Amino acid sequence: MIRSALRCAIGAGFLMTAMASASAQVLEIGTDLSPTGLDPHLITAFPSFMIVNGNIYEGLTAIDKDLKVTPGLAESWTVSPDGKTYTFKLRPNVKFHDGSAMEAEDVVSSIKRVQSKEIASPLASRLASIEGAKAVDPQTVELALKEPSAPLLASLATIAIVPSSVETDKDVLQKQPIGTGPFKFTEWQPNGFVLLSRNDAYWEKGLPKLTGLKFNIVPESATRQVGLINGQYAMLPNIDAATALQLKGKPGVKLAETLELAYALIGMNVSKPPFDNPKVREAFNYALNRKEIVDAALFGAGVPGGPLSPALKSWALDVKEYPCYTTDPAKAQALLKEAGVTLPVTVTMNVLPRQDIKDVAQVVQEQLNKAGFKVELKNQEQGQFIQDWRNSNFDLFASTNAGSPDPDEYFFRTFRTGGSTNVYKYSDSEIDGLLDSARSMQDQAARKAAYDKVQKKLACSGPVAHLTYSTLFSAMRDKMQGFDIMANRSLVNLKNASY
Amino acid sequence: MSRLARNKLLTFALVLVAVQLILALGAPWIAPYDPMAQSVARRLRGPTVLNWLGTDQLGRDVLTRILYGYRTSLIACVIAVGVALLAGGTLGLVSAYYRGWLDRIVMRLMDVLFAFPVMLLAIGIIAVLGPHTYSAAAAIAVVYTPIFARLLRGPALVLCESEYVAGARAIGASDSRIIFMHILPNLASVILVQTSLLLSAAILVEASLSFLGLGTQPPTPSLGLMLSEGRNFLLLSPWSAIFAGFGILFLSFGFNLLGDALRDTLDPRLRGQP
Amino acid sequence: MSRVFFTRLFDLLVVLFGVSIIVFLMIRLIPGDAVAIMLGANTEITPERLAELNRRIGLDRPVIEQYLIWAGAALRGDFGTSLWTGRPVAGEILIHLWPTLELTFLALFIGALLAVPVGCLMAQTRGGMADVTMRVGAIAGLTIPSFWLGIVLILLLSSLAPGFSSLGYVPFSEDPLGNLERMLLPAFALALPILANLSRLVRSAMLDALGQDYVRTARAKGLSERRVVYKHALRNALIPFLTSVGIMTGYLLGGAIVVEQVFAIPGLGRLILGAIAERNYPLIQATILVVTAGFVLVNFIVDMLYMLVDPRVRA
Repeated sequence: MIRSALRCAIGAGFLMTAMASASAQVLEIGTDLSPTGLDPHLITAFPSFMIVNGNIYEGLTAIDKDLKVTPGLAESWTVSPDGKTYTFKLRPNVKFHDGSAMEAEDVVSSIKRVQSKEIASPLASRLASIEGAKAVDPQTVELALKEPSAPLLASLATIAIVPSSVETDKDVLQKQPIGTGPFKFTEWQPNGFVLLSRNDAYWEKGLPKLTGLKFNIVPESATRQVGLINGQYAMLPNIDAATALQLKGKPGVKLAETLELAYALIGMNVSKPPFDNPKVREAFNYALNRKEIVDAALFGAGVPGGPLSPALKSWALDVKEYPCYTTDPAKAQALLKEAGVTLPVTVTMNVLPRQDIKDVAQVVQEQLNKAGFKVELKNQEQGQFIQDWRNSNFDLFASTNAGSPDPDEYFFRTFRTGGSTNVYKYSDSEIDGLLDSARSMQDQAARKAAYDKVQKKLACSGPVAHLTYSTLFSAMRDKMQGFDIMANRSLVNLKNASY
Repeated sequence: MSRLARNKLLTFALVLVAVQLILALGAPWIAPYDPMAQSVARRLRGPTVLNWLGTDQLGRDVLTRILYGYRTSLIACVIAVGVALLAGGTLGLVSAYYRGWLDRIVMRLMDVLFAFPVMLLAIGIIAVLGPHTYSAAAAIAVVYTPIFARLLRGPALVLCESEYVAGARAIGASDSRIIFMHILPNLASVILVQTSLLLSAAILVEASLSFLGLGTQPPTPSLGLMLSEGRNFLLLSPWSAIFAGFGILFLSFGFNLLGDALRDTLDPRLRGQP
Repeated sequence: MSRVFFTRLFDLLVVLFGVSIIVFLMIRLIPGDAVAIMLGANTEITPERLAELNRRIGLDRPVIEQYLIWAGAALRGDFGTSLWTGRPVAGEILIHLWPTLELTFLALFIGALLAVPVGCLMAQTRGGMADVTMRVGAIAGLTIPSFWLGIVLILLLSSLAPGFSSLGYVPFSEDPLGNLERMLLPAFALALPILANLSRLVRSAMLDALGQDYVRTARAKGLSERRVVYKHALRNALIPFLTSVGIMTGYLLGGAIVVEQVFAIPGLGRLILGAIAERNYPLIQATILVVTAGFVLVNFIVDMLYMLVDPRVRA
């Protein structure tokens, strides 16, 4: 009697769950890592960006799915002839989630907030060229630049506009974000989920279509996959090829794919032997077989790539332009002999603790050991890896880098002498000159010519062996419509999605 | 349980452990492939004639890697439990023998270490040392030291009071001679049983730590790591994860059964206790 | 009794003091700097941010002063705030405590519940092969890796019952059925070794009881034999059960850390692994301290209960 009552109750429970999921339109998303905070000017980890950017917050500009700059909270803008003054016309009728209107004053204080020493935002360098910001009227903002800056518009897409009231507050947005985006923050259960709900006052009429987003934090890959297959999760965003391969063809599941901006790389320390010698770096590139890396570590889903992602169609050179991309272990050995180093060249490679990078490192190790190198892998814990990376305490490291829509953002800080993430200690006057001039050029063709030269030089003898750009996948239930996958992993398109 | 059954069980446990020891130590000669040799064309296969237990995500032979994994796990755990026995055992015997403030300080320290849940202390220690096979071994050694200290101190106290030890003292034997030649041998059976049981537990702890990415690191083959790597490909090819799990189970099971059977045979007082 | 109680209580405090020192020192020894982690590989470090964080953690003061400040606040239940989210650490621990507690209790409950019939069954069939089989089975149960079992269970379930939504966590207060449905599998994965352990206790207690005088007396009095045996055997099994609860709690906590990871349960294990990965010093310190203190307390309570149940131990 009791037993059958219980069974009945459990049955009813199942039924209720099923009914609830059919009527509600909160999109259940399965993701692996917890966000570490939600303040758009302080976060640095990808899981935070994914939730915050474009969903809760928006910038003056936006990046569309072809990685082009489009209007965001600014409807339009004009640039002065000398390239040093930008005037933005703001979109009318934009409201923050607390109901207040978004006006020029908020934009100015958001920019000041990012630049402030007190707040110490890691995004500050992206706005380094801005000398002053002022509100001309409630709908107009004027930015004064120290010197012309070609990448500014792309950078502004990543600077969230927040209410002026939080300009000097470091804590409130980490827990209780207030933006202008299509979804507003509702609840964060640490290690459980982050729940966003529909912003009914969103400026783009009819959007968003979903009533909410729930980012479920599920660390185990197999668990996420099973969750998608049995319908508990509607979407697994930004998954790798191995995961996609396992979900391919499962009933009720579909995949979206794009070539991604992020890439796998091997960094070399050029401040000490053996990689201080450009010939050794060239030999290193000849020793690699990038196609094999794609096949082995990326399950064939990706392409070999140079310093810029092939996804950046208007900038990237074809890899055929780089002679050292033709695998030739004999040539590598010959170059090493020429360089006068003792064979085998014994070096240690620090490895970022991420499964795909660990796999890449193991494949690279095999290839190099066949061409005159003797590589030892050093698998480190995340904190140690980053510390060694930052202190240039490595021979080689295997890692991944997010990439960015404008070449300057990556090149300047990475390869310019004294660049903020030039951990390789690379210094080359030709590269420095090219990067300095390309930064202030307004003419697209001239910029492209400069970056072509940079790419050619960096590809074979630069401090970074760029390996592969993978195909990025998002898996979702068949029912889900209207979502476009982005090469920069942004989920901004969720506002157009329905389920 | 009848004597016969008990002896059979002990024999069975001994054979099981011996076979796994031989497999582990003989891995370089027994294993059909190089544990690092990759073959993209043949990856994530199920069991075939060529690869009896299939291949992993980089096309490496699962059987080979399990054999080498046995080696890694066993070496790490034997070192860890050995160090714990040496350190904990010495501390336990010495404090039992000298008593007084030495005993009090040492045993309080052991109480403090013993107070931590095993996995939690191990994770903390690895956070300090960085993830590595030997960090995991060090963590296990620290965690098990108080267990041996407490285990040996009790019976050693009783032995110290015995006429036997008093006699040795009377004929002028040195302290260290009494501790190691007179007291220690009497504790051999307790030590043997506990070492075997702790080895079994240590294998599970090492596997758990490697599974969490805190123990052995790639490309070194280890059972916990294989399980951890293989779990990313479960829906595609569960073989390496499943077989690695069986590997851990058999290894841990063998030592536990051995300890259990040894306890029955060597220490009749404990018979029937779980 | 009360004297024993106070001596034990004093010991307990000494141990907790030692634990707090070890935890504190352990955290200072961790290599890698919090700021480097937080800023990640793609962004820039600013000296201001570094100084600000060091000040917030208090790393700019002498170690003894750091300890005293931390311990003093901890005694008042103030463990500081999480470095990255600014939430109070005590609150974070509380949020993550419930799922872990529920998981461990449920595992203990399932293990104990199943152990009675299994143990009785094992007691009825004894001798020869049955004994050996039972023993081998129990040891296999003890040594099966719970995280592996968890993964295998998820895999099996997904192919056998595709509609079963067994993942994640819903608080019991929000959706009791959904909560139990999700906790069942992880709790079972954790419970197997408990079952193996307890069923052996029950079995030997049963065998003991069957041979006792009072059973014969009861039988002579015409009482139902079954009832007598059960009652006495289970009471006998209670004492070894209590002694092993302490050990089992330690085991359950360790197991829970890994099983939570597999089943996406937002418990203490997830909290501590995450805290270590992001170098969240206040959070790591407090979590290890609180969990260890809880563990010590459980063992203390078990000791005391043990004395109540079995007066002989008081000496």
